[in-house]
Amino acid sequence: MGVREKIVTWARMKSPWVIHFNTGSCNACDIEIVDTLTPRYDVERFGVQLKGTPRHADVLLCSGPVTKQVRDRLVRVYEQMPEPKFVVAVGTCSCSGGVFNGCYNIHDGGIDQIIPVSAYIPGCPARPEAILDGVVKLLGSLQAKVEENDGTRPAPLPFL
Amino acid sequence: MTNEEIIQQKIVNRFPATEGKFRLQRARRIWVEVTREIFLPLFEFAKQELKFVEFCTLTGLDEGENLLFIYHLAQEYTGIVLNLKVAVPKSDPVIPTITNFFPAAELPERELEDLLGAKVAGLAPGPRYPLPDEWPAGDHPLRKDWQPREDEAKPEVPHG
Amino acid sequence: MAKVTIPFGPQHPALKEPERFDLTILGERIVRLNARLGYNHRGIEKACEQRSYISALYLIERICGICSHSHATAFVQCVEEIAGLEVPARARYIRTLIAELERMHSHLLWLGVAGHEIGFDTLLMYTWRDREVVMDLLAALTGNRVNYGINTIGGVRRDVSPEQCAEILRGIDTLEERTKYYMQLATEDAMLAERLVAVGSLCTEDAARLGAVGPVARASNLNQDVRRDDPYAAYGELDFKVITDTHCDVYGRVLVRVGELMESCRIICQVLSNLPEGPIAVKAPRKIPAGEALTRYEAPRGEDVHYVRGNGTERPERVKVRAPTLANVQAVSKMLENNYLADMPIVLAAIDPCFSCTDRAVVVREAGCVEQRMDWKALRLYGIEWYRKNRGIDCSKIKLRM
Repeated sequence: MGVREKIVTWARMKSPWVIHFNTGSCNACDIEIVDTLTPRYDVERFGVQLKGTPRHADVLLCSGPVTKQVRDRLVRVYEQMPEPKFVVAVGTCSCSGGVFNGCYNIHDGGIDQIIPVSAYIPGCPARPEAILDGVVKLLGSLQAKVEENDGTRPAPLPFL
Repeated sequence: MTNEEIIQQKIVNRFPATEGKFRLQRARRIWVEVTREIFLPLFEFAKQELKFVEFCTLTGLDEGENLLFIYHLAQEYTGIVLNLKVAVPKSDPVIPTITNFFPAAELPERELEDLLGAKVAGLAPGPRYPLPDEWPAGDHPLRKDWQPREDEAKPEVPHG
Repeated sequence: MAKVTIPFGPQHPALKEPERFDLTILGERIVRLNARLGYNHRGIEKACEQRSYISALYLIERICGICSHSHATAFVQCVEEIAGLEVPARARYIRTLIAELERMHSHLLWLGVAGHEIGFDTLLMYTWRDREVVMDLLAALTGNRVNYGINTIGGVRRDVSPEQCAEILRGIDTLEERTKYYMQLATEDAMLAERLVAVGSLCTEDAARLGAVGPVARASNLNQDVRRDDPYAAYGELDFKVITDTHCDVYGRVLVRVGELMESCRIICQVLSNLPEGPIAVKAPRKIPAGEALTRYEAPRGEDVHYVRGNGTERPERVKVRAPTLANVQAVSKMLENNYLADMPIVLAAIDPCFSCTDRAVVVREAGCVEQRMDWKALRLYGIEWYRKNRGIDCSKIKLRM
């Protein structure tokens, strides 16, 4: 891996920028996601920042079962994100459809029927601690992927 | 006489056809069945003279042979709710609009058209609500005999 | 100057939920608003018809995460009325306690989000930190921070112990201090007033005509509150003020919500000091007899209306929910008339929208205008042509990696 790639990967792992998109959820998971930014849980100490546009984001935090109206927009948001990108399904509804499985306006089975998902955080709603745990585990798996491709071992991330 | 009985008497005096069609369920709840012919004049009477100025909502249901529409109106300050039930045959599911009295009734009336297949006469043309754009016309989920379609193609997941 | 239509949503940093608004602007002023709702429509009313009453209760609770107790209580009150059940007094008081705690958490959430929409992020951090006090109390009482599941048909599922009462009173003392600070901020801060006064105006007549409910209506001087006019749970036995304001704009909505926070503190203290002894639930039958009922509930956002019809079986015949935001969203286009584009997020946030409650298109059309629609490729070609004609620059050779 060249020096430029090493710096870019280091920046991605130390400071992933997220974008949040609600695909038809009841809002409980969304307010728990916003809760992780507030002083008690404070996800910004991990370098995570909430951005407004998918073109600036590394991680898509998705909540809610996918309604038929929102499906194309979700795919469009996913395609607008630059590579490498990761999708985190927050809450039971986005993992598997949750209580809404069987409703007529929902695609059964959660968001992994529409876009590929890297991490699943269950819960109804997912607690902020669980969301933090999920984000940290995702960063850990990025670290593992980097080592697997590279062979050399970068310095361990301080919070693991 | 209680307030509810006074209101019942006033309506019966003005519209004798409603005699015997009332049900005073409890304090602050009056249910009355009206025919389509006297619906609009009774509605106007309730709003202008009896001061039922708060439009709560409009419920549509499938009763087998008929479609039943229930208009829920509340009186200001007393909290008394007048529920007007109008049944129309499924072969001719037309009901006049009440947006002249309550502009806020537009979205509930569009819901009736979309989900139940009713026809609201006099409603201004506009986008559908709440079903998605690709939902086929003529498919009304709230009807009792509605079945979900089996032939829907599964969406393709883009490779990440 | 030509009018331009820009899309707002379904993905937008100011929106926590997917909805689509098309704003037509002339310069910086909004001329027209087309709303396309329905992105959050999940088909809950139909799904309730296929489930038993208890399963439907858990589904109804998840119509909205922020006002979950409102929907659950309204539904359960309808079912209890149809079945003719007499809910014990202690259960009604516990429902009221959770309802007021929910109102506090919702208003603090709203205050933070409103602060964020106008760029006042410190307010977001302060209010959400204080909100954690309420979330801890709710988690201790019910087992979950959101989607409490405290209701069952016939009463409530968990009791409140004297230790928990003492803990709640301590939490309320802290919150009362903080609410006094927010009240002082709202009434004395000149910058906040400058930013919010005369933004999103809705006069009293328009609020009544367009059917606004809740704090939006009360901020336009409409004196209506379902807790006082059509009492339910324990509200008939409690003493509280209905907060109204004459500003008729976003500033008025801030004042009404902060005032309601103070009132909620008082109501909670009354509930705890008058909590009656007794059972917390009565046994409910599995099959609810045929009948129908309508409940109105004052959710944090406004009047929530539930209609349930039973047919003698285990499953409801029809469940209808009218959420408060459906009533308020039709007033938004009136509020936005002649406002600046930069005010769109705060005006929309000021009705405290909850589209997940709503969805289960407000069109204002101007006569005689021709609509022209361009997709991304056409827009790019238009730009290339404009630069070639007006600036002599040819950008057509630039390749885009799409």
